[in-house]
Amino acid sequence: MLDIQNLHVRIAGKTIIDGLNLKVDAGQVAAIMGPNGSGKSTLSYVIAGRADYEVTEGSIKLDGVDLLDKTPAERAALGIFLSFQYPLEIPGVATMTFLKAALNAQRRARDEGEMSTPDFMKKVRAAAARLNISQDMLKRAVNLGFSGGEKKRMEILQMALLEPRFAILDEMDSGLDIDALRVCSEGVNALRSPERGLLVITHYQRLLDYIAPDVVHVMSAGKIVRSGGPELALELEKSGYADYASEAA
Amino acid sequence: MTIAAKIQTEAEDGFARSFAQAGFGATQRAAFERFARAGLPTRRLESWHYSDLRGKLRAAPPLAATPGPDDLLFARAERDLRAAPETLKLVLLDGVFCADLSDQSGALSGLRIRALASLPSADPAAILLAELAALAEDPLLDLNAAFARDGVVIEIAEGAQIAQPIEILALCGATGAQSRFSRNLVCLGAGAKASLLETRAEGVGGFGDSALFLALGLGAELDYACRSEGGAPVDVQNIVARLDEQAQLRAAALVTDAPFLRRQWSILCRGENAEVQLSGAALLSQQNHADTTLTMTHDAPSCVSRETFKYVLADQANGVFQGRIVVPPHAQKTDGKMMCRGLLLSDDASMSVKPELEIFADDVACGHGAACAKLDAAQIFYMESRGVPKPQAQAILIEAFASETFDILHDDFLREILQADLARILATGVFA
Repeated sequence: MLDIQNLHVRIAGKTIIDGLNLKVDAGQVAAIMGPNGSGKSTLSYVIAGRADYEVTEGSIKLDGVDLLDKTPAERAALGIFLSFQYPLEIPGVATMTFLKAALNAQRRARDEGEMSTPDFMKKVRAAAARLNISQDMLKRAVNLGFSGGEKKRMEILQMALLEPRFAILDEMDSGLDIDALRVCSEGVNALRSPERGLLVITHYQRLLDYIAPDVVHVMSAGKIVRSGGPELALELEKSGYADYASEAA
Repeated sequence: MTIAAKIQTEAEDGFARSFAQAGFGATQRAAFERFARAGLPTRRLESWHYSDLRGKLRAAPPLAATPGPDDLLFARAERDLRAAPETLKLVLLDGVFCADLSDQSGALSGLRIRALASLPSADPAAILLAELAALAEDPLLDLNAAFARDGVVIEIAEGAQIAQPIEILALCGATGAQSRFSRNLVCLGAGAKASLLETRAEGVGGFGDSALFLALGLGAELDYACRSEGGAPVDVQNIVARLDEQAQLRAAALVTDAPFLRRQWSILCRGENAEVQLSGAALLSQQNHADTTLTMTHDAPSCVSRETFKYVLADQANGVFQGRIVVPPHAQKTDGKMMCRGLLLSDDASMSVKPELEIFADDVACGHGAACAKLDAAQIFYMESRGVPKPQAQAILIEAFASETFDILHDDFLREILQADLARILATGVFA
């Protein structure tokens, strides 16, 4: 599914990702843990296609298709979804308008034809109900004035609507209280499927109690320095990241 | 201050010749003399500092002739293309009210429509128009007063509620390079209520200098939407408004494809608790230049005014906003706020903003703000990451930015007309 080979990324002349290799298979949930500044968020942005990063070497492929020459919107249509650590507020743009534009843009790109308004409404309402998202929230501008928890639930709602092939959750747990974490995690777990890959980026083991990973990778100084099963996360919780800083260096 | 003697420009000479040939009466002669003394405004005149009309108007195009059959044919097609559905259409052809192309107002009680040229000088509407004209001073208003022969006079009787929107369509005839002047009056009696749509498309060529006078009686309410698209190479739109006690004016404008446009507002609240909401969105590309200059005078206590103007500037387009709120000593409890925001889509676009407050009363709340920015790259990436292609993401952001200015209108019909126009303009792809 997702195959990253020897990825090198720079921003403003500074190397952030330095020879990273990562494979996530269909149906697999992979977690990436690592200290602040290890390049986790950069990795998520580079997969999604944010412009200000310079990929100097390596490749990122989804189902064998090279993503690096694709625009962010093309990547989304191919099935990449990034749940943002800090979802953006877009004043003046109604949430429903945004959701419909996104869904139909992807459908057009895949030659699937636009979804009718009644079908769209039905789909949004069903997904919103599962995530405790009120009609009132849907009527507001995108993420405007939402609490941290509401923003994250809105991210998961978008994921549920867009049904991506491969989703990256960038610190989904940041800014969430325990109840919101549970609701969001249930939303994500409902989307686990044999055809879909998930990459969960987090600092803390706590999130992985809710979204159980198949594989855990430790990232430090721009590369994966260790990989293991779910027990690796528990070990990190005890020992911290100090050991890995030296390995990367 | 002494005004240094200026060399008369070719355009000023041209207007003088046109005026001499036209044989107008004493009132118009007085107006022309005022214009001739001041001349076309230069950038040295503070209120015209950002719009070089004198430099731009190289020659005075000949006065528009009486429309012929070709002009009527052309204007009829333009009307059918441009007019909004279900409005009461009143057509100005090269500045002259054209009954043949206009709807009959007979069915609407409380509404009277006349051609300005048909008004006797002692008519109350003519007297009102003269009163309103005296409220504002500007060389281009004088030029308009000197040359305008006609326009439309819309009177709404006391207490009348006109449900059907009235649409003034300012069109030009088949011959483009002419000078067009029109002088229009919309007068609402006490407690009257109406919606006015102005559709301006005089852009084949030439020069336009129009004036619209609005008089709102006690408690009257007017929603006024102007869409100005495809203006003349040099176009000046003057709007003078006067509000009595508790009157409410809500005016929004959508400007696009404006080679050189100056919209100048002069508003006077002369009765207590009057409310004015003015807004505008300009979408400019290429070498477009659009200037909104307004003076909002609170001449009575407890009046409220809000001015919100937004500019979307692509290519080498140039936006200008000058707003002045005037509060004399007796206008206590004035509440005035003014805001101008520019969205620069290109490094070569420019925006000039000059807000001014002249406050002589001590118990007032007045403020102004101005901001210019580019589109937010993070917001665009967020939308792209959801599959929305970049041009569409930009269009969505621009639409959100600009359409907010239409929210002041209470009349859903007018708001939807402006929104539909905005969506159509953005769909051309010029701004994204």
